[in-house]
Amino acid sequence: MQNYRNFCIIAHIDHGKSTLADRLLERTGRVSAREMTMNQILDDNPLEQERGITIKLHAIQMDYAAKDGSSYKLNLIDTPGHVDFSYEVSRSLSACEGALLVVDATQGVEAQTISNLFMAIEQGLEIIPVINKIDLPSAVTTIESVKQQVMDLIGCKEDDMILASAKAGIGIDEILEAVVARVPPPKGDPKAPLRALIYDSVFDAYRGVIVYVRVIDGTMREKDKILFMATGQTYELDEVGVLYMQRQRTGELSAGNVGYFTAAIRKLQDSKVGDTVTLMSNPTTNPIEGFREVKPMVFSGIYPADSDDFEDLREALGKLSLNDSAITFEPESSSALGFGFRCGFLGLLHMEIVQERLEREFNQTIVTTVPNVRYQVVTTREEVLWVDNPAQLPNPTLINEILEPYIRAQIIAPSEYVGTIMKLCMDRRGTMMGQSYLSADRVDMTFELPLAEVVFDFYDKLKSNTRGYASLDYEYADYKPGQLVRMDILLNGEQVDALSSIVHRQKAHEWGKRLCSKLRELIPRQMFEVAIQAAIGSKIIARESISAMRKNVLAKCYGGDISRKRKLIEKQKEGKKRMKQVGKVEIPQEAFHAVLSLD
Amino acid sequence: MFGLYLHIPFCEKKCSYCDFYSIESTEHIQRFVETLKREIDLRAATYDGTAFTSVFFGGGTPSLLHPDEIMVITTLLRSHFVFSDDCEWTMECNPGTVTLERLEGYRRSGINRLSFGVQSFQPAELEFLDRIHNADQAAVSMHLARRAGFDNVNMDLMFAVPGQTIETLRDNLRRMIELQPDHISAYSLIYEHGTPLYADLLKGRVTPLPEEVDAEMYHLVISTLRQHGYHQYEVSNFARPGRECRHNLTYWHGEPYLSVGPSAHGFLGTTRYWNYRSLSAWTDHVMKGALPEANHEHLSASDLLTEHVFLHLRADGLRLAEVQRRFGLDVRQRLQPDLTYWIEAGFVNDHNDVLSLTAEGYRVCDEISSKAAARMAG
Repeated sequence: MQNYRNFCIIAHIDHGKSTLADRLLERTGRVSAREMTMNQILDDNPLEQERGITIKLHAIQMDYAAKDGSSYKLNLIDTPGHVDFSYEVSRSLSACEGALLVVDATQGVEAQTISNLFMAIEQGLEIIPVINKIDLPSAVTTIESVKQQVMDLIGCKEDDMILASAKAGIGIDEILEAVVARVPPPKGDPKAPLRALIYDSVFDAYRGVIVYVRVIDGTMREKDKILFMATGQTYELDEVGVLYMQRQRTGELSAGNVGYFTAAIRKLQDSKVGDTVTLMSNPTTNPIEGFREVKPMVFSGIYPADSDDFEDLREALGKLSLNDSAITFEPESSSALGFGFRCGFLGLLHMEIVQERLEREFNQTIVTTVPNVRYQVVTTREEVLWVDNPAQLPNPTLINEILEPYIRAQIIAPSEYVGTIMKLCMDRRGTMMGQSYLSADRVDMTFELPLAEVVFDFYDKLKSNTRGYASLDYEYADYKPGQLVRMDILLNGEQVDALSSIVHRQKAHEWGKRLCSKLRELIPRQMFEVAIQAAIGSKIIARESISAMRKNVLAKCYGGDISRKRKLIEKQKEGKKRMKQVGKVEIPQEAFHAVLSLD
Repeated sequence: MFGLYLHIPFCEKKCSYCDFYSIESTEHIQRFVETLKREIDLRAATYDGTAFTSVFFGGGTPSLLHPDEIMVITTLLRSHFVFSDDCEWTMECNPGTVTLERLEGYRRSGINRLSFGVQSFQPAELEFLDRIHNADQAAVSMHLARRAGFDNVNMDLMFAVPGQTIETLRDNLRRMIELQPDHISAYSLIYEHGTPLYADLLKGRVTPLPEEVDAEMYHLVISTLRQHGYHQYEVSNFARPGRECRHNLTYWHGEPYLSVGPSAHGFLGTTRYWNYRSLSAWTDHVMKGALPEANHEHLSASDLLTEHVFLHLRADGLRLAEVQRRFGLDVRQRLQPDLTYWIEAGFVNDHNDVLSLTAEGYRVCDEISSKAAARMAG
């Protein structure tokens, strides 16, 4: 156990985490230089590669012959890089004793890095600061201030920092040596009752769920009967091993090591991240701390574009949830969209990923509604209801109070943007909770914001208002009461349930006006005039109208025109089928998403 | 019903808006007639004896063919095929190219219906459309046609022509009605891909009339013609009672038609074929004894349904019993709830189990057709 080192990399997107990981693998002989041509091995999901972010956790074991003459097994545990997945990050940090803090020499510390870093420090991890990309020409002017930021942040000395360029292969040996010398070996008792932390799991069509674990105490062997302590599920271990580039079966895994097991587990939901695995025969009484149920925070309706495809969509969601345990889905119906599902996501990125996977991997054509948060409604009879679909908000006369979720947001940006950021957050009903300077020209601000206000375009706004310099991290805080009302959209007097939203009373007018004018752009002219209205209860707060089409007919259709005309009609027919109809009015699918593109 | 179409691909001058296949050199006419006869021979080989109810010489400008040439063709047709006693024989004519003698010749060869491409009575509009005749020749042609014994004459009228106003259209309508044609085809100008007019549109040399004006003109056309006893039986076609063009109804009712000549499209039950759209390719194939078909398509049940729905809606309406018999579908049930909206708003008439478009309905025909096709397909 003395020769194991379990560590991870904490870095902001684009600061070079994946390149550094690749370089470490290459240097320890885990991959050849030739295999390196297909870069960035840790990100194996095409969506991750496209977005340049890592969503799923992976781990790789490397053999390293250190300068002290001993050989070490280094387990590199990858962490996801987005705020939606901060719980997963915390669990994978728990599987480590050390972390490489990678900071771009030209960019400095970002919010995401700081929150993950503090999480790592809290868990007692040894931090090894690495200043990356030192070979970039612009690093000459920025590196000193970046070093200072890092020293201020973690209270280290200048000598503790490793100067590196993963791309150019500079500092790689120093990093490996530092991991051996500075990251403490795991503690734990191989003879004690088994305690293994699940930090990730994936679904494999042939083997069932593959569970990734860090063994804290004890030993697990194939054929052992195990118990998942949080879910109470029991299984018999099929295969146990460690993670090289592929899984490598070892038959057992004991305290201090990181690896995987399979046990014919059919549902990802049975192996929850953060849960403790123990042995049925000799269970621990002391589960690993920090487990919690991951709860969806953002909700959206997902409907089949063609209502005949409802069952296909159900099947696709079922399959998707096999390897995404965080998504929730419940059937619902809408007068506008027919039958579909109300889906819950960890956050906006998670929502986008699910929507894209449904379309790409499962070939579903879907209509999605505007995302919303889950509200807590206290009725006049003091009942508490959870509402995750605005159309289901009870009649206002029955509502005593509506509470909405808040987040605590940390924003780091150059100090010249303080005013801009304050304004943005105030516009979004935020309250400033604190502000501190990381350096003379870099400020760290904390706000409390309603999650609902962050759900649409807040991040994009923040980025564009600060020319991309601000970084954001947030954690969920608690529920607070708000002056919230349901705003409905009526087309020719008929309410379109899927377009209802819950908004702050003071923002309702502005919101209603913008939504109506957006819908006016998105809804094509029809045979009838279309009146668009936004209403709170029976009160109309905004209106627009779309005049009727004047003429839509081609004059000529003789023998030689018929095939062409039929093909045109077929095309228009398909267009018509994709429209959703409420009363007389045909609504294009993108209109249900309209709010997301306001402005 | 069974139609026969003959495409005559020659024009003295091509009109800028026209997308029918034709060439401006007339020196190939003689060879063309020989080739056309060969194609008729080839087509006759698989003829099953069904009597034709209409024949249509279209173009191009069929009246560039001499009456003797038409006579040769119709004589050959009669030797191969059977024609109903009341068969309609139409020939398209350019008002600038007819004489009494020629018209009498066509009449003798069996032609009993003429169609004149009049388009307008305004010199500026005729010039814009590249028409080679003048406003007076329309009246002369009609006079000659009547003298030659034609009691079934169509005139084409074009509206929404750039430069046209409600007033000039009103004048065109008045002057055309004065000539008392039996049938009027009134078209809103289409900017067809591949025409010189379309190229001008892309280059910004012409500006289409606004949709509102086009709609207003269409309304004027429909209401004026109705006042004068022409009833509308298709988007662009108006007739005195009993003078509807039988040949065109063949197209719109999904009935079969045989076609000969370059670019001609034929439809035989569930297959549509089209000949080469090139005089030389067409000639080469026919002269080698091969059918000059560039391609063909088999219509699936769903294609047939789509065509049935949009063609009947464009023309004189969907007959509920026919749709039930041919496709096993209940139209009223399929089209709800839209049918109710359409009837309430006055776009559709529901009369004697026929759903037909009103004047307002014709104005948005393509919208109704595509929606109806989508609903019918389920």
